[in-house]
Amino acid sequence: MLSRSIKLGPKCKVEHCVQRDSCKSRENYSTTVKWNQVLRWSWESQLPLECTQHFVRMRSGAADAQIPEPRFWGDWTSWEEVAVQSSLGHHPLSVFPKDKLVEEGSNVTVCYVSRSHHNNISCYLEGIQIHGEQLDPNVCVFHLNNVPFIRDTGTNMYCKMDPGGVIKGIVLFVSKVFEEPKDFSCETRDLKTLSCTWDPGKDTGLLTQLSPSYTLFESFSGKKVICTHKSWCDWQAAPDSQEMYNFTLTAGNDLRKRSVHLLFNLTHRVHPMAPFNVLFKNVSPTNAAMTWRVHSIGNYSTLLCQVELYGEGKVIQKQNVSVVANGELLVRNLEPYTEYVAQVRCAHASHFWRWSEWTRDNFTTAEAAPSEAPDVWREVKSVQGHRVVTLFWKPLSKLQAKGKILFYNVVLENLDGPSTMKLLSIPAPANCTELALDHHSYQIHVTANNSVGTSPAAVITLSRDPGNKDVEEARVKGTKDGFSLSWKPQPRDVTGYIVEWCEHPRDPRCDLQWKSLGPNTTSTVVSSDAFRPGVRYNFRIYGISTERIPYLLEKKTGYSQELAPSDSPQVHIGNLTASSFTLSWKGWPAEPQPGFLRGYSLYLKSKAVQCLPGSEKAVLPDGSVCCKYKIDNPKQKTFVVQNLQPASFYEFFLTPYTSAGEGPLGTFTKVTTQDEYSRILIRILVPMILCILLLTILCYLKSQWMKEKCYPDIPDPYKSSVLSLIKSKENPRLTIMNVKDCVPDAIEVINKREGARKSLIETEPTKPTYLHLLPTEKSYPGPGPCICFENFTYNQAASESCGPVPGPPKEQPSQLGLLTSSENVLKALGKTYVNSLGEIPAGETNLNYVSQLASPLCGDKSSLPTNPPEPALCSEYKMQMAIPMGLASPPSITPLDEGEHYH
Amino acid sequence: MKQCRRIWTILREFLSLLLVLHCTHGAGSPLPITPVNATCATRHPCHSNLMNQIRNQLAQLNGSANALFILYYTAQGEPFPNNLDKLCGPNVTDFPPFHANGTEKSRLVELYRIIAYLGPSLGNITRDQKVLNPNALSLHSKLNATADIMRGLLSNVLCRLCNKYHVAHVDVAYGPDTSGKDVFQKKKLGCQLLGKYKQVIAVVAQAF
Repeated sequence: MLSRSIKLGPKCKVEHCVQRDSCKSRENYSTTVKWNQVLRWSWESQLPLECTQHFVRMRSGAADAQIPEPRFWGDWTSWEEVAVQSSLGHHPLSVFPKDKLVEEGSNVTVCYVSRSHHNNISCYLEGIQIHGEQLDPNVCVFHLNNVPFIRDTGTNMYCKMDPGGVIKGIVLFVSKVFEEPKDFSCETRDLKTLSCTWDPGKDTGLLTQLSPSYTLFESFSGKKVICTHKSWCDWQAAPDSQEMYNFTLTAGNDLRKRSVHLLFNLTHRVHPMAPFNVLFKNVSPTNAAMTWRVHSIGNYSTLLCQVELYGEGKVIQKQNVSVVANGELLVRNLEPYTEYVAQVRCAHASHFWRWSEWTRDNFTTAEAAPSEAPDVWREVKSVQGHRVVTLFWKPLSKLQAKGKILFYNVVLENLDGPSTMKLLSIPAPANCTELALDHHSYQIHVTANNSVGTSPAAVITLSRDPGNKDVEEARVKGTKDGFSLSWKPQPRDVTGYIVEWCEHPRDPRCDLQWKSLGPNTTSTVVSSDAFRPGVRYNFRIYGISTERIPYLLEKKTGYSQELAPSDSPQVHIGNLTASSFTLSWKGWPAEPQPGFLRGYSLYLKSKAVQCLPGSEKAVLPDGSVCCKYKIDNPKQKTFVVQNLQPASFYEFFLTPYTSAGEGPLGTFTKVTTQDEYSRILIRILVPMILCILLLTILCYLKSQWMKEKCYPDIPDPYKSSVLSLIKSKENPRLTIMNVKDCVPDAIEVINKREGARKSLIETEPTKPTYLHLLPTEKSYPGPGPCICFENFTYNQAASESCGPVPGPPKEQPSQLGLLTSSENVLKALGKTYVNSLGEIPAGETNLNYVSQLASPLCGDKSSLPTNPPEPALCSEYKMQMAIPMGLASPPSITPLDEGEHYH
Repeated sequence: MKQCRRIWTILREFLSLLLVLHCTHGAGSPLPITPVNATCATRHPCHSNLMNQIRNQLAQLNGSANALFILYYTAQGEPFPNNLDKLCGPNVTDFPPFHANGTEKSRLVELYRIIAYLGPSLGNITRDQKVLNPNALSLHSKLNATADIMRGLLSNVLCRLCNKYHVAHVDVAYGPDTSGKDVFQKKKLGCQLLGKYKQVIAVVAQAF
């Protein structure tokens, strides 16, 4: 900024150069001057003064209109140098101008000054490098054109010097364009004070750096007011002395000034204050008188007032009234017992400028008698032989009630008996009453009463016949808008129709609703906010006879919106075969149903790729593919799945469906078909097993017999193969000994000493003691005296393996005496010795009879023989044969060596 | 009347001298905060666990110094965040020294000087930032909180010095006044000071 004090003529021209030979700008300045007056003229150089040397010179000329052309300029003054650089100090780098404040769209010139021209200096604006014009080796100038507003905190511009890394910068503040005030307007409410308002426009964005100021100047009076608010200002008017006003609103900040003008007549800018003291008098059911007052404006100014009457939130009447001081208006055609809102506003009648604010108040008209009979309906139930009649009525609308309903009168008139009347008074707001009646016919009159009077009576007749004739229920399709019901017109006279339904059918209280319709109506739409999807609603349509008796005409049922089933029936599998199985279920679903059941869908999963006839492929939500059977009959409760593969695994799921869709897919039930041959096999195997079992039992029961027959303990020698051997040797003398013919003649008595266990080597061989017996029976069929021999092999075998039977007799001398005792012998003889030795009493155990017929016995392991020979099987059969007498050795006992056998 | 004029002239010259002295001191030279011969007395008794309080306050300052520094240079915009070494380097020449290996008394005296230096400097930064970055509320809040803790720390250090070491006065120096500087320079000086503060407070907190 350059500031010069000069003594010049009326017009000056200043030339400003950064160098003497390169003038950058030339400006004119005109003013009216007096002789010797000192002028002060400031102007700002586009290039900051710190950037380089500036030179200024000026000249003046006369610009007075009285001086004829051509006008001449004076001579230039000498150049004057403006050198600020010397005051910059010794900083290696400086950037100018500091903290420059400009409007957006302006052009700004920035420079840096470095102390050394050997350095590499780069400059950045908003982080982006900018390139400038080298003014001299140490100064570079950057021309920033049309700078935008970026932020209210300014924009950093900096230069970086390399080497050294010195950073120097400036902050450039760019404000938004300071706008002209808009909608400048002045008005008065009392002709004393003028209130001027305007819209200041958009914010400059630099409120801390650029705070705007507003000044109001009135040219006729020459007064000026500095406004303390940025959007309004008050001015004291002088109505007696000044009628016309010419305002200039000047808004400005450090960068710009803006002015707007307004010329007006004070009386044309009257904005009256709102009326007050609004009152309503003489309020009847249909009329009311409204009064109000207005603030005076000047002397005897007439105001035009506008009155609006609101009923139910809408304007129902609108009237204009001229008012000087007090306003009055009679409001007609009102409804009884209705609340109204009346509002009034006023404006200057002669020079309309602006309406005042509304002043409003409300009032309620007086009551009148109800004009309509209540809408009445009934519900009849039979309880313990009596009729219980619930009488319902709808509250009258506001227009019908014409006041506050206080009570309802119910009059019962018995039509069958003597003319008796019964009056019940039910206080409001009750809308029903319950009556216990006999089976006579009754006529019921219901009236509504307010403080002024009674409504016409609603009449309904209850006949003896309940009238619940069987009417087939028809289905009706509902929509979200309701149920469209229609019925056949009645041939007989009807006074109207009633449609009845329960609004909450799942609720025991039902919430009975009805709709009264005229006699010429045969259709209606029943809608309710209470209707819910998936709920079945039942409608009954009654005709009302001329005797006011309702009779049932039709029944309808339907859903406002059907829903898909939410569950599935329990399915049981039966008749499982190799190729089919039967599914049965108990029907679906339990009440309440969310829609009309259309049928069932059966999903069958199997390994087979192709679906069976009667089914189609379906893709489940999980992406798996299965076969789907459609069962269209909702009453069907069984289904046979056929043509299945034997011994195959299947999964199925049954779900019901309505028009809205199927129920949710649940868990599939697994089933495996039977094997094709398993049944046949069972048919064969079972009898076989039974037969075998029977045979086994039989064999068990007859085991002894079988044993004797099939494998006797003592085989029949005649049947033995030995015979063939004998025969082959052709020894005719050899015969088979018959056991029956064998008469025992000796009993071997073995003396056994307990605990004496001596080896055969140690013990001297002793002769066994024999008891020789003679045949007692002469009838013995044998061939003669039989030789009793001792079969050592037999004994040995028995002794070897079976303990209780001693082996070959050993010397037991100490027991000899005992053995010869006749008592013991007798005792021994008294026994049946074919029995097991185990049956011998304990005291007789040392007397042992060795039968040659009996098989060796097993058991007494405690009586193991001393030096038992090599074990041999008990049941081993040692062949025996009868040896001719000549060949037979004397009945002596020869001990056999171990392992010695007969062959 | 003449005598009155003379007295007034002397008084005016004296006040001018005081003002000059104050300005000189404000540029960096130590300034006694209490008269040399003033008795050492505190208005309220010092807290029994004073050193612990001082340590806690130092820990608080140390804990928040880096966040304050980051908030500051971020709010200044480019080139500050990317040229911290050049614009926010801790090269504050007149910053009071601190010797961590000194006696407790000397450390407390040095701490007192540092806090006395930082307090007004933080005040300058807070004032500047309210104008330059009026919407950086988080920065303002952290600056205020730091200044509050410093005030408490200064009081505690004074108490300790007075009660235990009977130090009646400490010569202090103040940082440069930024009110006459251009906006870029204000931003840079603030950044340098907060960088230095972050560096020094870590050493001081460790020393106690």
